[in-house]
Amino acid sequence: MGQDEQYKSAVGEFGPALQRLAKSYERDADLVRDLVQEIHFALWRSFSTYSGQCSLRTWVYRVAHNTAVSQRLRRRRPDLVSLDDIAEPSSRDDAEGAIGHAQAIAKLQGLILKLKAPDNQVMQLYLEDLDAGEIGDITGLSSGAVATRIHRIKALLARQFDEGGRR
Amino acid sequence: MSEPDIKTRWQTQPMEDIAVSLFDLQARARSFRARVRARNVALILYSLANIAAGGALIWYGYFPSMRYPMLLMIAAHLFVLWQVAIRVSLRDQPAGLPGQALIDFLKGESERQRDALSAAWLWYIFPFMPAFLWELGIWANAILSHPDGAAKTGNIRLFALVVVAAILFWGAVWLFFARGAKRLKGQIDALDRLRGE
Repeated sequence: MGQDEQYKSAVGEFGPALQRLAKSYERDADLVRDLVQEIHFALWRSFSTYSGQCSLRTWVYRVAHNTAVSQRLRRRRPDLVSLDDIAEPSSRDDAEGAIGHAQAIAKLQGLILKLKAPDNQVMQLYLEDLDAGEIGDITGLSSGAVATRIHRIKALLARQFDEGGRR
Repeated sequence: MSEPDIKTRWQTQPMEDIAVSLFDLQARARSFRARVRARNVALILYSLANIAAGGALIWYGYFPSMRYPMLLMIAAHLFVLWQVAIRVSLRDQPAGLPGQALIDFLKGESERQRDALSAAWLWYIFPFMPAFLWELGIWANAILSHPDGAAKTGNIRLFALVVVAAILFWGAVWLFFARGAKRLKGQIDALDRLRGE
């Protein structure tokens, strides 16, 4: 399969995931659109060197995250924190009961946007339902380090979406 | 809300339709190559302008005592042009390997930037120093041998001002490179620690 065909096939399979990924790095809609295009460009170029050294999914996520992180580094955002240090937003809006779909998405994006690498990427990949092995392949973390982070992410989400409504 | 519910909500979030065609990508590739070319051309034009100016001064016999340091300055510009050709033009290719694991990619990028900062003064600043110091030496000699005392004092002040300004400028440039390299070393160490977790 040629470069163009590989790219088309990857976008057919992972297009929506790439958009979710971009929205987890940028708040502003124009910047999201720009990052999506940048990721597509990097992905298209990357297929000139892809020869099945890892699964297509791993390759696509690696290229996409590396591109997004590079763009974030150029912007130099100093206010990013690790999972241990994240300040959780108050959940007053949720006090009356279950939160809506859009609100839940906004809350998740708000949390992810604050995280620095590689916690940001682990949380995104966890929400995309990748297993710990794949997350390790994409981020370069050991399986133990991924497992520790997933444990913290689960605890964070439980606080936000279970107990959060009653705080 | 349960864990699968959170994941489902995340994966089914509404999306804006952002279409990217192959035509768009090829246009972006052309624009990327044009930007790299423009940056390289700007660097080359700067050096060529300096070479032309120095060459003209030598050719028309201005400042005859400065002829040899000016020739050395031209040689320094040619050396920097050569370095630009072998170092900067290589970056037409992606800097890191795009399909590497994130930590390796970040480490590779940080090391590349650290190496560039650590070595920049060697190939971009140091080559001009011998000619610059030689010119200062000739100028100092001319001031000291000037017969007019009042003019000599004025020239010494100007000379001292130039020397102090040069020390401050090159010192600031060196400090900028050194601090950047130190910050990157910290990032590289942190990535190594992540690798070791």
